[in-house]
Amino acid sequence: MSETANEKKAGRLVVWLLAIVVGLTIFYLLDHAVMGMQGLPLNWDLTPAQ
Amino acid sequence: MNVLAKTLGFSVALVIAFGGVAYVLPQMEGPAPEQHVVNLDELTMESFVAMGEDLYSGKGTCSLCHNALGRAPDMLALNVTVTSLQRIADPNYEGSAANSEQYLRESMLRPSAYVVAGFGTKGSNDTQSPMPAVDKAPLRLSTLEVDAIIAFLQDKDGEPVSVPLPVATAMDAPIAEVAASAVPQGPEELIVKFGCTACHAVLDSQAALGPDLNDIAGRLSAAEIRESIANPAADIGDGFIVMMPEFPAMTLGELEMIVAFLAAAGEAS
Amino acid sequence: MMAFITPRRIRRARQSAGFLATVPMLIAFVVLACGGLATQVSAAEGDAAVAGVSADEHDVAATTTVSLSPAPTPQREDYPTIGASSRGIVWAIAQMHLFFGALVLAVPIFVLVIEIIGFRTGDDRYDDMAHEFMKVSLTAYSITALFGGTLALALFLLYPHLMSYLMTAFGSQVLVYAGLFFLESMLLYIYYYGWNALRYGNRKWLHLTLGLLLNGVGTTLLVVANSWTTFMMAPSGVDPETGAIIGNIWEVMKGPLWNPLNLHRVIANVAFGGAVVGAYAAFKFLSAKTPEEKAHYDWMGYSSNFISILAFLPLPFAGYWLMAEIYAYSQQMGILAMGGILAWLFVIQAVLICTILLAGNYYLWTGMARSEGADRYRWAIKYIATVLILGFLVWVTPHNVIYTAAEAVKLGGGNHPVLGPLGIMPAKNIAVFLMLICTFLSFQLYRRADKVITVSWQNWGNALMASIYIFAIANIIFAGVYYGYFTNTVYKVGSSVIQVMSTVVVIVAGVVIDSLRFRGAKTLHVSWGKVAERSQYALFALPVAFTWLMALMGYVRSSVRTHWHVYTVMPDTSADNFIPTLQTVGNMVTLVTLLFLAFLLFIFWIANLSGTRQLPVTTDAGSQREASVA
Repeated sequence: MSETANEKKAGRLVVWLLAIVVGLTIFYLLDHAVMGMQGLPLNWDLTPAQ
Repeated sequence: MNVLAKTLGFSVALVIAFGGVAYVLPQMEGPAPEQHVVNLDELTMESFVAMGEDLYSGKGTCSLCHNALGRAPDMLALNVTVTSLQRIADPNYEGSAANSEQYLRESMLRPSAYVVAGFGTKGSNDTQSPMPAVDKAPLRLSTLEVDAIIAFLQDKDGEPVSVPLPVATAMDAPIAEVAASAVPQGPEELIVKFGCTACHAVLDSQAALGPDLNDIAGRLSAAEIRESIANPAADIGDGFIVMMPEFPAMTLGELEMIVAFLAAAGEAS
Repeated sequence: MMAFITPRRIRRARQSAGFLATVPMLIAFVVLACGGLATQVSAAEGDAAVAGVSADEHDVAATTTVSLSPAPTPQREDYPTIGASSRGIVWAIAQMHLFFGALVLAVPIFVLVIEIIGFRTGDDRYDDMAHEFMKVSLTAYSITALFGGTLALALFLLYPHLMSYLMTAFGSQVLVYAGLFFLESMLLYIYYYGWNALRYGNRKWLHLTLGLLLNGVGTTLLVVANSWTTFMMAPSGVDPETGAIIGNIWEVMKGPLWNPLNLHRVIANVAFGGAVVGAYAAFKFLSAKTPEEKAHYDWMGYSSNFISILAFLPLPFAGYWLMAEIYAYSQQMGILAMGGILAWLFVIQAVLICTILLAGNYYLWTGMARSEGADRYRWAIKYIATVLILGFLVWVTPHNVIYTAAEAVKLGGGNHPVLGPLGIMPAKNIAVFLMLICTFLSFQLYRRADKVITVSWQNWGNALMASIYIFAIANIIFAGVYYGYFTNTVYKVGSSVIQVMSTVVVIVAGVVIDSLRFRGAKTLHVSWGKVAERSQYALFALPVAFTWLMALMGYVRSSVRTHWHVYTVMPDTSADNFIPTLQTVGNMVTLVTLLFLAFLLFIFWIANLSGTRQLPVTTDAGSQREASVA
C-alpha cells in the first residue's frame, strides 16, 4: 500500500507545478492591479495600453 | 581595554573609510547665483546668446529636466524654432503665441498653457505641466534673462534670433544673476581665458610658439581643430613639437564655441 | 455562557481596557497638540502692509484685519557672524541632536514591544533586556536635550531673521513642544525608575500603559519638529508672492512632505536605535567573562540585529514615498537631488546601504552556526552573497561621470554605452529590491535553522514559498527592464510600485507561511554565546554605517533647498549659501559621526558604571575590590 518511489516523485512534481502556477498567477494579477490603480492600464501581454 | 581598542579602532577606521569615498568622487560645487549688473552698452548679440546659454545650464536650471532622460522635451536635440511652430499648429494648442519667440516665452512664463503630450504631471492628463514658472520663485528669472535664453535657443539651431538686444531705458540697470564663476563669455574671451594667445597668433597676439590660428580654417577642418584642442598630444603632422597642454577644465560648450570661431575666422579674413 | 465569564477573564478585560483606553487618549492628544491651537499669530508691527493674498487653494484662517508681514529678506551683511562658518556650527549641532533624538525616540518603541513579549511569554529574559536597553536610553536623553538647547541658541544667534519668520509661522506650537518635554521627562523617569516597583500583575499593566504614553508623547514631539523641517523644504499656508503666513497652524504644519517624512523617520529611528543597542550588546559580549554573560549578550545582540534589519526592510519604501512627494511638489527639486549636483551623494548612499545589508546578512550567516540544523542551508549563503555584491555594484554605478572634452570625444557622447543604462533608476530598483529579498531570505533561513518542521503540508509550503521567491524576483527584473527601458517615462516610474509590491508579497507571505508551518516544530538546541567573535564586528559596522548614512541624508534633505532658507519664500543670502564640495560634506559627516561615537562610548560607560558597586575597603592591605551588580 505504500507509495512507490515513482509515485512519490510524481506527487512532488504535481505539488511544484501547482506552486508554480499559483506563483505566476499572483504576480501576473499583481502587475495588472498595481499599474491599473495608477491609471496606467496594461494589455493582456503586460504591454502598456496607452 | 583590548576590546575597547579593537572595537573603537574598527569603528573609527570604518568611519574614515566612508569619508574617503567622498574624496574619490567628482568634486562639484554649486555656487548660489550672484547679482551681476549687465552693461547694456557692451552687450553684443554673441555675448547675449552666450549669456542665455550660461543661464540655460546655470541659474535657469533648464538642463536639469530638458535632456535626453525623458522628463521634459530635449531642447538641445530639437530644432526649437521649427518645433515651436509645430506645437502652435497642434489642434490641441490653446495658448496665444503666434511665432516661436512668443511660444518660447509663453512656455517659460506659463508652462501649463500648453503641455506637450506625455509630459504632463501624472494624473492630470497632460493639462498640467510640472515645470515651474521661470519668473517666479525659485527661479526668478528677469525679463532680460528670459530673453537671453530665448535668443540662445533660437541661435543654437542656426535660426535667426528674433529677440532684440535689450537697450538701456530710464529704468534701473538690468540685473542678470549668473553663477559667480561664469560671467557670459564669447569665444574671444575664452581664447584669452585658456591662454591660447600665449603661444598662438590669434586675436591680438603675435606669438609663434604654435601654429598661426588666424588662418587655421584654411588648413584644418573643424573636426581636426577640435581634435587638436581636445587631444593635443595627437600628432597632426604640421612640424611643431607638441608642447601644448591639455585643458581639463574646458567644457564641451566652450570647446565648440572656440572651434566654431576658429573655423569661421578663415572665411572672414 | 456564564462559565465563559470567569473572574480571571474579568480581571484581564479590565486590565486590557485600561491599556487600550490610552489609545483614543493618545489620538486626542496628538490632535490637540497639532491642530487644536488654530490661532494665527499676527505680526503687530504697525506697518499695515497687507500681502496680496493670491487666489489659490489656501484657505485663509478666519481673522479680522491682521497685518500679514512678508518673509524677511536679509542681505549678507545682516547675518551675525562669530568668526566661524555659521552653517558648519548649526550643521554639526543639529546633526548631533538628530542622532540622539532618533535614539531616544526609537529605544522606547522596541523596549515596549519586548516588554510586552516578556509579559505574554512570562520569560524574564525579555523583561531584563528591555530594562537594560532603557538604561542606555536614559543617559542619551539628557544629551539630546543638551544638544537641542544648544541648537536653539545657535539658530537664534546666527540666523535671527529666519528664526523670527519661523516663530511667526509656528509660534502657537512652540510652547506646546516645550510643554511636551516636561511630560516626556516625567513619563520616562517613572517608566525607567519604576520598572521594578511596577513589575507584576496590575502594576505591570500600568507600567505598559506608561510605556505606551511615553511613545505617544515621543512620536508627537517627532512629528511636531518634522513640520519645521518640511516647512522649510515645501512651505504650505504661505502666500507664494510674499511669504506671509496666511494659513492656520494646521495648514502650515501639514505640508506635502510632512507625513512622508514622519513615516520615514519613525521607521528609520527604530532601525538606527536597534543598531546602536546592538553595538552595546556586542561590546558587552566581547568583554564578557562568564559563559552566562556571553550567552545573555549574544542573545541581546541577535535581538538588536533582528529589530534593526526588520525596521530596515520597509525603509526604502518610505524613502521612496518621500522622494516621490518631493518630485510631485517640485520636479526641479527632485531631479536636483537625484539627477543633478546632489546625485553623487546617492553613490555614497549605495556604499553605506550595502555595508548595512552585508553586515546584517553576515551576522545572520555566522549566527547560524549556533544551531546544528543550519548545515542544511549553508549552500544558499554564497548565492545570497553574490546577489548582494552584484546588486551593490549596479547600485553604485553612476549614470555618467564628468568627462574631459577629450574623453567625451572618444566616448562619442555623454554616457558609457554599457554602464550608462545601469546608472538610472530601473537598474537601481532591480538591484535594491533583489538585495532586500535576499536579506529576507537570510532571515527566513536563520529562523528555520534551529527548527525541524513537522506540519503535514510542509511540501506545499516549501514549494509555494520557493515559487513566490522565484516569481517575485522574475517580476522585479521584468518590470525593471521592460518598463524601465522600453516604455515611456510614466510607465517606467509606475513600474517601481510593481517592484515594491512584489517585495512586500515575499515578506508578508514569508512571515505568514513561516508562522503557520512552525506550529509544533521541533526546536533544536541553540548555543547562545557560542558564536565567532568576528560576527560582533558586524554589529559595530551596522551603527557606524547607519550614523554616517543619517548624517549624509540629513545633508541632502537640507541641501536640496539650495540657496533658500524657506524654499521659494525666503532666500538665503548668507556667506554659506552655496552647495559645498563633496569633500566638505564628507569631512563634516565624518566629524559628527566620530563625535557621536565618542558620546556613545560615554553613554555605554555610564550605563556600565551605574551597575558597578565598589566593595568596602578591608582592614588588611587596603585592597579595594569592585563588584558588578547584575
